[in-house]
Amino acid sequence: MHRVIGKTTLERVKTLLWAITGVWTVVTVARFAHGIGATSGLTDVAPWGFWIAFDVMAGVALAAGGFVIAAAVYIFGLTKYHGMARPAILTALLGYIAVAVGLLYDLGIPWHIWHPMIFPQHHSVLFEVAMCVMLYLTVLSLEFTPVVLEHPLFHRPLFEKLLHLIKKATIPIVITGIVLSTLHQSSLGSLFLIQPFRVHPLWYSPLLYALFFVSAVALGLMMVTLEALVSAWLFGHRVRTDLLAGLGRVASFVLSFYVLLRVGDLWHRGILPGAMDGSWQAGLFLLELAFSAVIPAVLLAFRRVRNSIPGLATCSLMVVFGIIAYRFDICIIAFTRPEGMTYWPTWTELAVSVGIVSGALLVFIFFNENLRIVDHGEHGEEVTAPSPPPVEQARLGPVLRRHSLVFIVAAALAIGFLPEDAIFGPQPRRTPAQPARNVEAMATPAPPPVMRTFLVSSLAGNVPAAERPKPVQLKVIDGNRDWRFVPFTHEDHIAALSGRESCRLCHHQNLAFDQNSACYRCHRDMYETTDTFDHVLHVDKLAGSDGCTVCHPADVARRSRDTALACWQCHGDMVVAGSIVPTVERKLVGIAPGYVDAMHGLCVRCHRDLAERQPEKYAHFDRCDVCHREFQDTDHRRMAPYVPMPPGHVKAASMSGLAPVSPPPPLLRETGEEAGKGGAP
Amino acid sequence: MKPPVDNTRTYAILTDTTLCTGCETCVQACKQTYHLDRDRAWRWKRRIDDLSSTRFTTIIRRPGGHFVRHQCRHCLEPACASACIVGALQKTDIGPVIYDEKRCMGCRYCMIACPYGIPRYSWEKQVPLVRKCVLCYDRIRNGGQPACTQACPYHATIFGTRAEMLAEARRRFGQNPGKYFTRPGKTEPEIFGEHEVAGTSVLYISDIDLNQFLPWRPNLGDQPLPALTWAALSKVPPVVFGVAALMSGVYWIIGRRMHLQAEAAETAEQNQADSLEEPHA
Repeated sequence: MHRVIGKTTLERVKTLLWAITGVWTVVTVARFAHGIGATSGLTDVAPWGFWIAFDVMAGVALAAGGFVIAAAVYIFGLTKYHGMARPAILTALLGYIAVAVGLLYDLGIPWHIWHPMIFPQHHSVLFEVAMCVMLYLTVLSLEFTPVVLEHPLFHRPLFEKLLHLIKKATIPIVITGIVLSTLHQSSLGSLFLIQPFRVHPLWYSPLLYALFFVSAVALGLMMVTLEALVSAWLFGHRVRTDLLAGLGRVASFVLSFYVLLRVGDLWHRGILPGAMDGSWQAGLFLLELAFSAVIPAVLLAFRRVRNSIPGLATCSLMVVFGIIAYRFDICIIAFTRPEGMTYWPTWTELAVSVGIVSGALLVFIFFNENLRIVDHGEHGEEVTAPSPPPVEQARLGPVLRRHSLVFIVAAALAIGFLPEDAIFGPQPRRTPAQPARNVEAMATPAPPPVMRTFLVSSLAGNVPAAERPKPVQLKVIDGNRDWRFVPFTHEDHIAALSGRESCRLCHHQNLAFDQNSACYRCHRDMYETTDTFDHVLHVDKLAGSDGCTVCHPADVARRSRDTALACWQCHGDMVVAGSIVPTVERKLVGIAPGYVDAMHGLCVRCHRDLAERQPEKYAHFDRCDVCHREFQDTDHRRMAPYVPMPPGHVKAASMSGLAPVSPPPPLLRETGEEAGKGGAP
Repeated sequence: MKPPVDNTRTYAILTDTTLCTGCETCVQACKQTYHLDRDRAWRWKRRIDDLSSTRFTTIIRRPGGHFVRHQCRHCLEPACASACIVGALQKTDIGPVIYDEKRCMGCRYCMIACPYGIPRYSWEKQVPLVRKCVLCYDRIRNGGQPACTQACPYHATIFGTRAEMLAEARRRFGQNPGKYFTRPGKTEPEIFGEHEVAGTSVLYISDIDLNQFLPWRPNLGDQPLPALTWAALSKVPPVVFGVAALMSGVYWIIGRRMHLQAEAAETAEQNQADSLEEPHA
């Protein structure tokens, strides 16, 4: 069995798998360094995504072949399938290990994975699933141990005794495995029983557990078939079509039962007409059901199809992908979310799942090369010892080197393509702040105790004559343009803060060479602190690196923002003397808080002071709703640009009091942006 | 399954949305009590003031100047607590559904199970936790009231035993006939959360239909959600014994049949051998 290195399909597949594992390793580091939020597309309305749907839901179902074949061989006495038992059990074992590994990525606190054992909560379906999976992993390990113990390495009396013990207990072990599989394969469906509101009605069913179990059995049979075909292709075995045809025949029955159960249940509950309503969910439902079950069930009913390799391959691929799609539909696609909240897995998320599968496949190939997995002992040609190592010792070097190279190159590429969040940790999105706007409005001349009434209207037709308002210049502050603005009058503030001298209280700093910089020019993000200092520009202006000492004194130990000159020390015209906002503290140099914090910082302190000092006049002045008041029934989009409304539509909006006058859509005229027009000194 | 809830011993919040001005004093009080960080525009949020790991309660602004305080409903039979695999979420006798972060393993099944979509995850953290309102369990256990109801300047959200809150809601219905939302076909205005999913400890009265946007789907029904999964879970013991017995039976029958077949084959062979031997004799 001589092989030319790098030329066989197996070698090519292995190289590819090693490359994927390289990517997987990089993503793993990112996932555990920065958390789930940084590496996945999961959100609060899509808390379960690709990892759960593929690694857990599909993974467990794909590994169903283990218990199905074990039942056939050991319980139903179909000994002709004995040769398939080992690959099926190995696949199941690796599959379940992959599920456990996948869970470690998905769990927020993976080192608490053993908590179900010490904090059992038996009302939780997930608890049952967890315990069954844990126990079934043990069962599978026991079922697989004999294969490992056959290796010449374990030809010792102790191990032979152990082997004998396990072989004696085969039937109880197999029955335990079947019970556990029945339980958790079905319970994965029961998980969604608690959420009739989220799972689409075409997928939700009180019989979800039965549907999951039956579909898992079908998938198990077809997965074993597919596996036999693939490993025959990879390792050059002969395909036992007679055996596979038998599996196909059973699968045909199981799939038919699944279709009957699913459609019958929908029909019984009167939901079936919904499958014809033309919505995309209905289309998806029909497509999924056809591909996963109806077509393969029909095809496999023909002897000619199930006796041919292409026929078997087609059917098994359809079932495998179809039933996985069923899991995905329930878990992600047909799972309702609020409008505008979609879920798309990130590539890092996919890389984890694909990486785990690749890792499992590499282990599978390793076992196949070194242990007697494909057992031809009883029904095939004699294979006495474990098949000889496919690559001779002398040739192992180049193979290792190539796999390492591929691994490292793939890892390097993966680092290059990592999203920013995965490298630096999750970053909040930017929300650029927009300038405040000046609008013309009407204000009542006699203000109520605390708040002045603004009638944001050009013609205050429906206002009582006694309250006839006067036009004012109003500043509308809503930096993120969400139309939940704070109305701000310069006039009122100037009057309250003792005349034009008071400008400096609020206006504290300008950009260099500017006499009137708007707040948003430095407080550039609504919620995040922004950097207002342009280092590159300054280096450029100050004669390159020769100019460092202009701002960084030569004698400081470490050049940093903390030890540099403050902006105003060079740009004297920036700072407004007497401002209540501390702009000259060194630590604040070049850093501007978010727009919201800046506005609050400016307003709230004065309002609190007033409410404390003159509680009679300024009662509740420290309350948020003094400034944050809502219009009722207003179409805020009319604010910009100004469009004259037909006479019948002219109404006034009151912004005073807690129960605004209604119905008041305002007419606001935007007279200009704050920049260049504000009341700076 | 469970004894009916004693409304005079379990606490509840009643929020009257007609009195709320959306001032968010309750939100600030909550943030101060639990030392919550400022809100940031994370990828997983639609709006800055969505419920999040830094905001356990928030104000939903509805068209027409309606303000609805959003928070955990503290269901009487909470789906989240029944879903929790390790019992990290638990319903206490006095009302709150509380969270024990030392138990949580981060499976997020609670977030899937909640019919109101309340629990939030601190996705931004390396070690994330489930985050939601806990009805100030520590405060009310010591005779206090939640920070939010204490802070509300307009008494739009109030706290008391569930019986008191239901009575207060009915009192307001009587005082202001026609003010509150009445579901078509009903005679009395609706107390949101009185019967929904077997009842909640956070009740609302309103002049608009809150079920249009607070729950995941408008009509949740009055059935307790944990019963849905319990219907399947309670079948586990019979399934265990049933499948085990069935498999053992099949194994025994098939084994026996094969044994008999083998025996029959042997006797047949013997007979054949005998009959073959006869002519020689």
